[in-house]
Amino acid sequence: MSKQPYIVPAIRRVSQSSANPQRLGRTPVIDVIDGVPVAGLLARFGGPLFVFSEAGLRAKIRDAKRAFAAVYPDVTFAWSYKTNYLDAVCRVFHQEGSMAEVVSGFEYEKARANGVPGARIIFNGPYKTTAELRRAVDEGAMIQVDNRDEVVALARLAAEMDRDLKVGMRVHVDTGTHAVWSKFGFSVEGGEALRMIRWMTENTRLRVCGLHCHVGTFMLDAGAYATAARAVTELALEAEEAGCPPVSYLNLGGGFASRARLHGQYLPPEQATPSFDDYARELSGTIKDCWPQGRTLPKLYLETGRALVDEAGYLLASVVAVKQRTVKDAGAALAAYGKGGAGGALAAYGKGGSVVAAVGGRRNAVVLDAGIQILYTTAWYQPSIYPAAEPRTGVQPTTVYGCLCMNIDVIREEAALPDLRPGDAVVIHPVGAYNITQSMQFISYRPAVVMVGTDGHAHLIRRRETLEDVRGPEVVPGFLSEINGTAGEARVDRQ
Amino acid sequence: MNTQSTRLDDLMLNDRGFVFDPNTGESYQLSATGLQCLRALQRGATTAAVLAELLETREVDALTARADLDAFLWELNQLGWL
Repeated sequence: MSKQPYIVPAIRRVSQSSANPQRLGRTPVIDVIDGVPVAGLLARFGGPLFVFSEAGLRAKIRDAKRAFAAVYPDVTFAWSYKTNYLDAVCRVFHQEGSMAEVVSGFEYEKARANGVPGARIIFNGPYKTTAELRRAVDEGAMIQVDNRDEVVALARLAAEMDRDLKVGMRVHVDTGTHAVWSKFGFSVEGGEALRMIRWMTENTRLRVCGLHCHVGTFMLDAGAYATAARAVTELALEAEEAGCPPVSYLNLGGGFASRARLHGQYLPPEQATPSFDDYARELSGTIKDCWPQGRTLPKLYLETGRALVDEAGYLLASVVAVKQRTVKDAGAALAAYGKGGAGGALAAYGKGGSVVAAVGGRRNAVVLDAGIQILYTTAWYQPSIYPAAEPRTGVQPTTVYGCLCMNIDVIREEAALPDLRPGDAVVIHPVGAYNITQSMQFISYRPAVVMVGTDGHAHLIRRRETLEDVRGPEVVPGFLSEINGTAGEARVDRQ
Repeated sequence: MNTQSTRLDDLMLNDRGFVFDPNTGESYQLSATGLQCLRALQRGATTAAVLAELLETREVDALTARADLDAFLWELNQLGWL
């Protein structure tokens, strides 16, 4: 007689909340990515493993370009390096015609190393050294000046070179939807930006030919871009009226939302996230309304990052341990699903009280071989977690812990998952934005990254970190060369 | 003759693993293996017999089954069913 598959003997109290497993429906599974089986990827490259879809990246940028080209005559996208500066990812966007948008000397060098000419780089950010500015000027990059000290540094360079320098100016606008990002640039509402443009025109050889405004991040209200576009368009016209050179371009930055889900976000991303068409309509409509009839519209630059890359990124991880977690107030915890559980109320029922505390107050939990050190964005977003194979059971609210020996390492407080066993793979999605660039080497090695190409094959685009990668930059002072009478393998500074 | 039923006897189970405990009014959901174990216990099986049944019918090694079964029995104990 053939044996049946093994499932852990388990019992859960049936909750009356929307977290009731009977009501969570069928469990979605991700067992292939662009036709490549997840199990095969893990077997070949090991885990955890980041996976990017080339087709997904290209589809997004093409959709964004289509949406804007349909409503505005002159739009250029610049790939936001900080969102994900893996060379392979950047090159997909460059192949699709995107410039590079960088915010540091390091990112500038990375873009140049990717073969992007200076004239195809937008140089943003609040900190640019004089040497970096000089290189950017020499190579014809689009510099977006952020602050008065940078204005002074650039003005000195222009004087030294005895030439006019075209620059863009970063400004900030109160759109009423987010806290104003006043860290960056000059205030439009307070008149600071107009005053600075005039001051630069009258006192330096800097010529402000563009205005740059990045209103925020993960903007679920596309209307915020209409507010920002109106403010920068009106500023451009006011500056021209005041005798400054005409502004030839507007750069409305990035901030378009992906289909990630914020903590506490009520509506699912499918309903909450605006489309590229929504953003395009708000931006182009406003600029066209405000710009004088008959004049050529200013060129529009966009630096969207997250919305282009987030959904193309997956993290494959494996369960290493299964636990039962005690939850003191199951009702409160379950409230994240909607109506909330009834655990607290039922505790009042005599004998039932102890029952609720025993089983109702316990929740499935799993420990993965990946942690929040490589999933930095879980601080703000709740990624979906999918089984990588058909589930053996129905789903239960499950806490998903990371692998770090840190109590804060919780990837999801509650994910709807079936009973999982050590060795079972899961797919975490979307994770393409910021997790690569903001991941840190902490406690364990950073994982390999592969790209599933449109050729149907998986290509390694970053190998797994090794001990040598971590120790390489370290130097041990000579007086620490020996411990317990042995020299060890450390690099010893003999000076 | 003692006619009083035990908490374990009182439990009402269906084939999908749904359990109703008439003593508390609470409902529970068992995994398929949990249902198999609980039914065996209702039939009066010992822990060793339940373990033997698991090993005979399921693709599992003895140590894993033992560890999981002990944890399951502990939960049933917490519920006052054993």
